[in-house]
Amino acid sequence: MANWQELIPSTRAYLMDKVLYQLHHNDDHLEAYKVDADAYLARFNLPADLVRCIKGNDVAKMYLSGVNPYLLRAHCIGMKIPEDVSLAALRSLLTRKEYNNG
Amino acid sequence: MAEITGIYTASHTPVMLNFPDRIPASLRMEVFDAYKTMGADFAAGKPQALIVLSNDHLHNFFLNNFPAFCIGCAESYESPAEHWLHAKRRTFEGDQKLGAYLLQQAYEADFDPSFSMEMVLDHGSLTPLELSGLDPNLPIVPVLINCVQPPMPTMRRSYQLGRYLGEALRAYDGIDRIAILATGGISHDIATPRMGMVNEEFDRRFIDLMESGDIDATLAYATDFVHTAGNGCEEIRMWLAALGAANGAKYERTYYRAINDWYTGIGIGRFAL
Repeated sequence: MANWQELIPSTRAYLMDKVLYQLHHNDDHLEAYKVDADAYLARFNLPADLVRCIKGNDVAKMYLSGVNPYLLRAHCIGMKIPEDVSLAALRSLLTRKEYNNG
Repeated sequence: MAEITGIYTASHTPVMLNFPDRIPASLRMEVFDAYKTMGADFAAGKPQALIVLSNDHLHNFFLNNFPAFCIGCAESYESPAEHWLHAKRRTFEGDQKLGAYLLQQAYEADFDPSFSMEMVLDHGSLTPLELSGLDPNLPIVPVLINCVQPPMPTMRRSYQLGRYLGEALRAYDGIDRIAILATGGISHDIATPRMGMVNEEFDRRFIDLMESGDIDATLAYATDFVHTAGNGCEEIRMWLAALGAANGAKYERTYYRAINDWYTGIGIGRFAL
């Protein structure tokens, strides 16, 4: 078993961390994201697959991409993703080989 | 020379405030009563300041610059940092003089913490303070340890931080009575596939070792098995810092339950000073 998907963030994970951090720590960012997610995410030069998983609230893929779990958790609550939905998405990874289970 | 009037360890989770109804009312009351008991015990020692050993959950610090240790040196601390936390906004008074003293003493003790003159406390500090009903006017000094993004300080280094902290506090002549609240852990996972699968066996063994007074065994167990108990369990670094600050005083648990629907092993304990 392992507690972390990445022991030091990759640049991909860092970019996604940056999005989730800024979304929930700047007063106007969450509103801007909700109004036009594509325009907001374009600020960060994210790879297209990460844009898709953030826009789609794909909790499982965000986790596998190495995002910091605390930022992911705050994002799920801040975006009002239903608790049982985010939990089920994470649990679906228990048997996936990409899940760093140590 | 100041007296340390109380040292407590207590879990924290925003779920207590955001989703309290995920567990039965009777269990919720049992947990909340345990926090109130802790608060009453703290108050009985009449501390003039409280050291809050906690961790920043990526609110004050981001990965562009993340300190291993940080000491608060502000006049006041707003809380909460999370816009989504179901808690009333409040401002905690800071003991700036004590914070500055601890910072200087840390360097003397070969620690190199960062410091912050403006820090917003998150649920890690707020939840146990809120639930324990501690006087909101009790001046605090936050001492933060990175437990949320590897690489992190080792378990032993966190214990050693507590050793320095206890020695520095006992030598402080600015006030007479100081208490320490170390908050975090025990087993829990935050946003991982194991979230809600509390490792109760880890928790009970860890608390047993804390109570045994065998410091090397406690540190070894924490180091070797934290990976079985979740990323949130990395916060036991604060418990180990409390162990260091206690300087050999006996530890006793006052409450423990593995609460899977709150995703957390809820543990509270104190040192017999």
